[in-house]
Amino acid sequence: MKLLEYKAHEVFHEYEVPSIKGFTVSTPEELERVDGKLEYPVVIKAQVQTGNRGKAGGIKFAENRDQLLKQGAEILGMSIKGLEVKRIFITEKVNIDKEMYLSFTMDRKTKLGVLIFSPEGGVDINEIVEKNPEKVAKVILPAGEEIDDFTLQYVIDKTGLKQSYHDEFKNICKKLYRMYVHYDCLLAEINPLVITSEGHLKALDGKVDIDDNALYRHPNVKEFRDEITENPLVLQARGFDFLYIPIKDRGNIGVISNGSGMIMSSIDLISKRGMEVTCALDLGGGATADRIQEALKIVASNPQVDTIFINIFGGITRCDEIAEGVQQSIDEIDTNRLVIRLEGTNKEKGLQIIRNIGGNIELVDGLYEGVDALAEGMNK
Amino acid sequence: MSFFVDENTRLIVQGITGREGTFHTEQMQQYGTNVVAGVTPGKGGTEVLGVPVYNTVREAMERHEANASVLFVPPKFLYGAAYEAIMSGVPLVMTIAEGTPVHDMLKLHHLAKEKGVQLIGPNSFGVISPGKAKAGFMAHRIFSKGRVGVMSRSATNCYETVFLLKNAGIGQSTVVGVGGDMIPGSTFVDVLPFYEKDPDTDVVIMIGEIGGSEEELAAEYIKKYVTKPVIALIAGKNAPKDTSMGHAGAIVSPDGEGSAESKEEKLRAAGVHIAESTEDILRIVKTLV
Repeated sequence: MKLLEYKAHEVFHEYEVPSIKGFTVSTPEELERVDGKLEYPVVIKAQVQTGNRGKAGGIKFAENRDQLLKQGAEILGMSIKGLEVKRIFITEKVNIDKEMYLSFTMDRKTKLGVLIFSPEGGVDINEIVEKNPEKVAKVILPAGEEIDDFTLQYVIDKTGLKQSYHDEFKNICKKLYRMYVHYDCLLAEINPLVITSEGHLKALDGKVDIDDNALYRHPNVKEFRDEITENPLVLQARGFDFLYIPIKDRGNIGVISNGSGMIMSSIDLISKRGMEVTCALDLGGGATADRIQEALKIVASNPQVDTIFINIFGGITRCDEIAEGVQQSIDEIDTNRLVIRLEGTNKEKGLQIIRNIGGNIELVDGLYEGVDALAEGMNK
Repeated sequence: MSFFVDENTRLIVQGITGREGTFHTEQMQQYGTNVVAGVTPGKGGTEVLGVPVYNTVREAMERHEANASVLFVPPKFLYGAAYEAIMSGVPLVMTIAEGTPVHDMLKLHHLAKEKGVQLIGPNSFGVISPGKAKAGFMAHRIFSKGRVGVMSRSATNCYETVFLLKNAGIGQSTVVGVGGDMIPGSTFVDVLPFYEKDPDTDVVIMIGEIGGSEEELAAEYIKKYVTKPVIALIAGKNAPKDTSMGHAGAIVSPDGEGSAESKEEKLRAAGVHIAESTEDILRIVKTLV
């Protein structure tokens, strides 16, 4: 779960990572209360899960109270790339001498944490690496809950950070790392990490990505998860414990399967034949007829989808449950084509149920036969 | 011979009194697995399916000289249960649950290495040596005994493969679910030496997918140490970037790390046969056995 900027600032604050002072506001009335708490000029930023907010008019400056009330109310009412702005984050404008980059993430190769620091920051890290790879220190960390001084000294020496910032840099690293570990972060990033004109290090903006599987340990952020999910079908699916994955904006095929691997294989084979999958839904293991009915409705409700391919290799998932789910939903979905492949537990029972539904359901025996059927249909 | 689980396995089931634990204990017993003890904290002194239940792994180990444990516990409790098994001297710990926090696995991965324990999974169907024994929840009817080794990040792609193999009359020696998470207890590289050593394995099938670097690392290892033919499938070529495809580990990072192209290139350079699909795996296997 990628936190919105204001929420990232909240967790920075909780772990005493020095960051700029800011307030979160969700109604125009609340703007009044911010006036007087911050020194003007202030920056007002829309809190939506998308890039390029500035270009869309989602970031504005205010020199005084009147401007704050006016600009703040304007941004609160707008929508950016189809996302309604429900919150704005207001901070003091900082005078910056230098923008740097700092993050903790994990290295899948060594299964250890990694610290990435660059004295040049402010832009995307991939861009930094591309332009000045020699300035970026990427240091694998020894396993542990804390980060040691010697590791940080090594980072400092590699990047030539000026002596006067060493203490503050070490302090920020230690706190951010603690946060990274305790909050189950996949990424804890400060970008830019600024040197203010007063000579202090502060987190100006940050990205925090928390492991979805660990959200149960962090109820204070979990409750915001649905709020930042853009796709309503992802949300609907999540309500039934399904994973809905948008694949391509184009495409006309929706794939339903009972496992991540099978979904990827289906998409690979379909794409290889020149067809396009627009979305996929993973049922997980052991879905019942009622839930399968919902899964079909969710995929069918995507206006792009005119063909659904159900590909089941049932272990825990029973083919007769799948078939019953299809039976229950058949009158509620208006998809042109339904291609079904059933294999595994209770296959025969499932096939019989599907045959009894009749209509134009295409039953296939095998994944490849299913993809063949899809391709033949497209050529007609 | 085979490895990890076979007729010599003396298995502990952690979480044996739960719904899944009991159901799959019965399945494992019917398949011929020797389940010697169960562990559920607070249920010590009871019995499930004729198997004595203990509060701790330590007591189960003392009384039954077990040599493996399989964990049917929810992801929240996986860390605690696996930690207990590792610290109680179980040499082989197989974890099943999907949804284990990554930071838990980071710790367990290194702890297991340090203690010399083979930790398998999580997000895995377990391990099966067809005709001998199984530990996990895999639908064992589709497996058959033979001389092809299979290790897979995905359960469904593995099922599809062994199903095609079985229909073609080609059986398997040992099948290992390395699991679909970002941080597996054992990686392909950790499992490969067992196949290389196993006299009952002639060919190794590696079912990988996008995300991470395990297939690249396996390529390096194969080039140096593996003499047996290896076939690899990389699923997820057409998956969008920066989107998890269901398995927590199946994600190509925005900078392109974990792409199918990179994996296939490295594997090909290491002399591995690249299969385009599960059906293609079968075609290649037929040329090798």
